[in-house]
Amino acid sequence: MEMEISIPKTSAVMAALLRADFTTIWRNRRSVIMVLLVPVIIVFSWRGLVPITGGAFVLSNAITLGLIAIGLMGYTNSIARDRDKGVFQRLRVSPLPLWTIMASRLIVQLTLILMLTLVVFISGYNFDQISMPLSKYALTFLSAIIGGAVYLSLGQAIVGRIQNPETVNSTSRLIYLAFIIVGTIGESGLIKNESLKEGIKWTPYGTVNDILQASLDTSKWSNHTSVALLLTIGYTAVFATLGIKWFKWSTR
Amino acid sequence: MKTGEDELNLRCLFEKPYIIKMDTQTNILQVDSLNVFYGKLQAVNNVSFHVSRGEIFGLLGPNGAGKTSTLSAVEGLIRQQSGTVTVAGYDTLHKPLHARAAMGVQLQSTSFQAELNVAEILKLYASIYGLDLSTEQLQNLLKEINLADAANKKFGQLSGGQQQRVALAITTIHDPKLVLLDEPTSGLDPQSRRQLWTRIEAIREKGNGVVLTTHSMEEAESVCDRISIIDHGRVIATGTPQELIDKHRNDPEVIAVSRRGRITLEDVFIALTGTAVRA
Repeated sequence: MEMEISIPKTSAVMAALLRADFTTIWRNRRSVIMVLLVPVIIVFSWRGLVPITGGAFVLSNAITLGLIAIGLMGYTNSIARDRDKGVFQRLRVSPLPLWTIMASRLIVQLTLILMLTLVVFISGYNFDQISMPLSKYALTFLSAIIGGAVYLSLGQAIVGRIQNPETVNSTSRLIYLAFIIVGTIGESGLIKNESLKEGIKWTPYGTVNDILQASLDTSKWSNHTSVALLLTIGYTAVFATLGIKWFKWSTR
Repeated sequence: MKTGEDELNLRCLFEKPYIIKMDTQTNILQVDSLNVFYGKLQAVNNVSFHVSRGEIFGLLGPNGAGKTSTLSAVEGLIRQQSGTVTVAGYDTLHKPLHARAAMGVQLQSTSFQAELNVAEILKLYASIYGLDLSTEQLQNLLKEINLADAANKKFGQLSGGQQQRVALAITTIHDPKLVLLDEPTSGLDPQSRRQLWTRIEAIREKGNGVVLTTHSMEEAESVCDRISIIDHGRVIATGTPQELIDKHRNDPEVIAVSRRGRITLEDVFIALTGTAVRA
């Protein structure tokens, strides 16, 4: 008697997961629009700053805040909710490599990051007439992905450490708020204490903002920016390691 | 690969198939000396059993006895500390994807992506199992589970019985050699339960193996070919329902708990596992 067991192709599995995850995002398009709206509002409302600080300053802050929202609000909450409902357990008993489950989710988030960056560029052009050479746009896309990885990995660490989806939601909102405060106060010049100002520059907000700004205006790329880039990659590595180590597929 | 009566297409979605030769004596599931710990707590203690082709095997036990932990180890959701689990000849630790491809699993509480509708969920899982469902095949599948009108409904909008039918359809969509059902009738009305048993018996008719857990002794007695009673992580009795009844018919504990004038599987179960209510 012969028995034939066939393993589906990983590419076919990945395509199916991506289709499902993109459908999920499409059905949640209102929340996606909200995530994209905040950076657009920043670009619009900070129009007056462009002649003073330059377009790169406004666009980099808008992109950074959008990246934080994608990583901390979108990704983290969807993982926490699906884990709590047992969606991952159902997938885990299927013949797919486990990495495909998370890879599909991350690809969707990376697509959102690219969308966000594009929306900010379009808003900057429309509201503030900010335009740049193609190479700078390309470099900024790359920096947005590197910067987005910090917040996605931070989100992974949060959802790894905390099991309850409501607690994940409130924690990620709190951290999101903290980053907004750090970012806006740090950039506003309200802080007079130099060491505190310097400290803010080395937070995940400060480093990501720095590399984005330097990508938009390459003349501002300095040693400080190179260190910020290394630190951004370092933050990602640490958060991702902790997030993977702590993560459990089920809350039960 | 045989794909069941609805003849699902298999196009080019598979890696090169692995063909194994099994003689008729080879068990579809073989569990040997399985031990599972949660920290220091031993949930499964040296459990061994097998399931033959075309057999419905029941795993019975009180709450917290180790049934779900045993199934979880078979499914690959938890890793056993020692012991082996072989599904269709594949060791679940060394060939996990092959083992999982050979089995269909219905978990105790099943949920799917909340934003997807029933048709999308069926298509997703068909693809995950390497099947490419055409629109017509999808419609046939929906008709088969009496959900043709609910194709566009979200899983959360379905009744308990409808959700269970979707879950079972996904469990068996790839015609698995082994079907694992964790308390499949929990919360179902009699009609849905009867329909479920008909479907499970159809799986057996095809020569595939079924392992199920249930708290309903009447169901186990009428449907299962063999059962194991498990308590405190150990298998304390194995046999056909009638064998277990006959073996323990004259035990004083069984007679003491008997309430209906005749000895039932439930009497044997309570006598073996105690009358105390488990948390």
